[in-house]
Amino acid sequence: MTVLRVRALNKSFGDLHVLHDVDLDVEKGEVLCIIGPSGSGKSTLLRCTNLLIPPDSGEVFLDGVRVNDPAVRPEWVRQQIGTVFQSFNLFTHLTAVRNVMLGLVHVKKMDRKSARVKAVLELERVGLKDKLDAYPAQLSGGQQQRVAIARALAMDPKVMLFDEPTSALDPEFIHEVLDAMGQLARDGMTMVVVSHEMGFAREAAHAIAFMDHGRILEQGTPEEIFDRPGHERTKAFVGKILR
Amino acid sequence: MSRAADSGGTPLTAPVSSAGPGGPGGLPPPRWRSTGAALGRTLYRWFPPARLARICVALAGIDAAAAVALWLGERGFYSLPFAATILPQLFSGFEVSAEAIALVIPLGFGVGFLIGWGRTSRSVLLRGFGAMYVDFFRSMPPIVLIFFASLIGLLGLNYLTSDPYLAHTVGLWFGAVALGLHTAAYQAEIVRAGILSVPAGQTEATDSIGLSRTQSMFLVVLPQAFRVSLPALGNEFSSVIKDTSLLSLIGWLEITGSGYNELFPSLHYGLQGPLILWIEVAIFYFILTFLLTSAVRSLENVSRVPGLEAAQS
Repeated sequence: MTVLRVRALNKSFGDLHVLHDVDLDVEKGEVLCIIGPSGSGKSTLLRCTNLLIPPDSGEVFLDGVRVNDPAVRPEWVRQQIGTVFQSFNLFTHLTAVRNVMLGLVHVKKMDRKSARVKAVLELERVGLKDKLDAYPAQLSGGQQQRVAIARALAMDPKVMLFDEPTSALDPEFIHEVLDAMGQLARDGMTMVVVSHEMGFAREAAHAIAFMDHGRILEQGTPEEIFDRPGHERTKAFVGKILR
Repeated sequence: MSRAADSGGTPLTAPVSSAGPGGPGGLPPPRWRSTGAALGRTLYRWFPPARLARICVALAGIDAAAAVALWLGERGFYSLPFAATILPQLFSGFEVSAEAIALVIPLGFGVGFLIGWGRTSRSVLLRGFGAMYVDFFRSMPPIVLIFFASLIGLLGLNYLTSDPYLAHTVGLWFGAVALGLHTAAYQAEIVRAGILSVPAGQTEATDSIGLSRTQSMFLVVLPQAFRVSLPALGNEFSSVIKDTSLLSLIGWLEITGSGYNELFPSLHYGLQGPLILWIEVAIFYFILTFLLTSAVRSLENVSRVPGLEAAQS
């Protein structure tokens, strides 16, 4: 079953054509890694998918429902798509557990008590049971990013988008975030990950897509892309990051 | 002095230092031979030289202050009886000032908040109106606005009622409303700066979990904006408290107005009368401002986020 289907997506910022007719299919339980040089449109693709940026043309389907449609409320779409940002974007004035509760109480309309129970559960899942009442500024980068993952997970999304989740982290904290993501992948979550963490990509990803200049140039299994890249530019890029 | 008593009554074998019983090096406790020496030692303990010096300086200070006060008093500087007679008037002025502030600050904050929020909105209409509002009210001296508004109140009421008392009262309140709308322009800019200080990532995050724009504003943006705006808001509040003194010029009997009412009688005491009068007025303003800034400070403490502020006070 295809959870996320993108067809002929285009996006320009002024004269800059960032996405060219991008097609993408993500099956249920699939982990797709998108790699590519910086400025190739990876982040924009994620942001167009969850409608943080409205696409210029093309179609986005979530569970077969066309979502970039004026008749569909973007809030309804976004609550079904979890997003984890490069810079965590935790709510700085709320504790970890209340960061997770916010969407449950105000979007899912759960009562505070059961929202808290669920929030604690999600934070336990990412190994932060002892940090429930810590404010983001009191947490390390790795812990903050795990709270962000819990916050997205709590909304029971159909698919999770990760926008370079480890790029802003000190090297010592990268593994704890990748571990949480790996666990998530093993639990069968559908994931689209923009990342250059090759270890994670090889281990957890079912498919790798290589993007350059706003186009998906090549897509395949990790072995195909990393060991036998077909496209010249894929070869050049993979050669650089694997060295 | 106590030190002299100490060593004077002590045989040479006893330690002279203040190291106390036993002394350094495990010497046996000294045996005090006379009550005089014991008393001296106790005195020395209670009043070591450093403390004694501080006490002397403090006493000298109090003495000097008393002398200056006496000297001023001999010249009739404090007309204390007069100061007491005007106290009730000034206190009722204090209450009237509090009334004016109770209108001006909530009105200013309410309108300022809406205008400031409007200026960050996506709607061109709201942004344009907000900018016009701020530009207009910031370029008017508050006293001109107060005169203007009270006149509008008087003129408008003349058409509606023949009761001059009612018209006058409405004119007074219109003046206070004008002051509220004036401070609103400044508070609008404070609120706008607070909203703009919240990073875009915060609203991206609220969007990503499906909160609406209004929810995002009230649950995430405004709480954070409010926290950073508080010091500036406290500043503006304390400033507008003093601006209420301008209302005396259209007939408000608030602190300044009632002080001004007592000016003529005060001249009976020569120049000391007005001096003590305005000192009392100043004290009342200080109390008002202190109360309000303390309230703002406790709000700041409540909204402090652990780990977020570099400098804790």
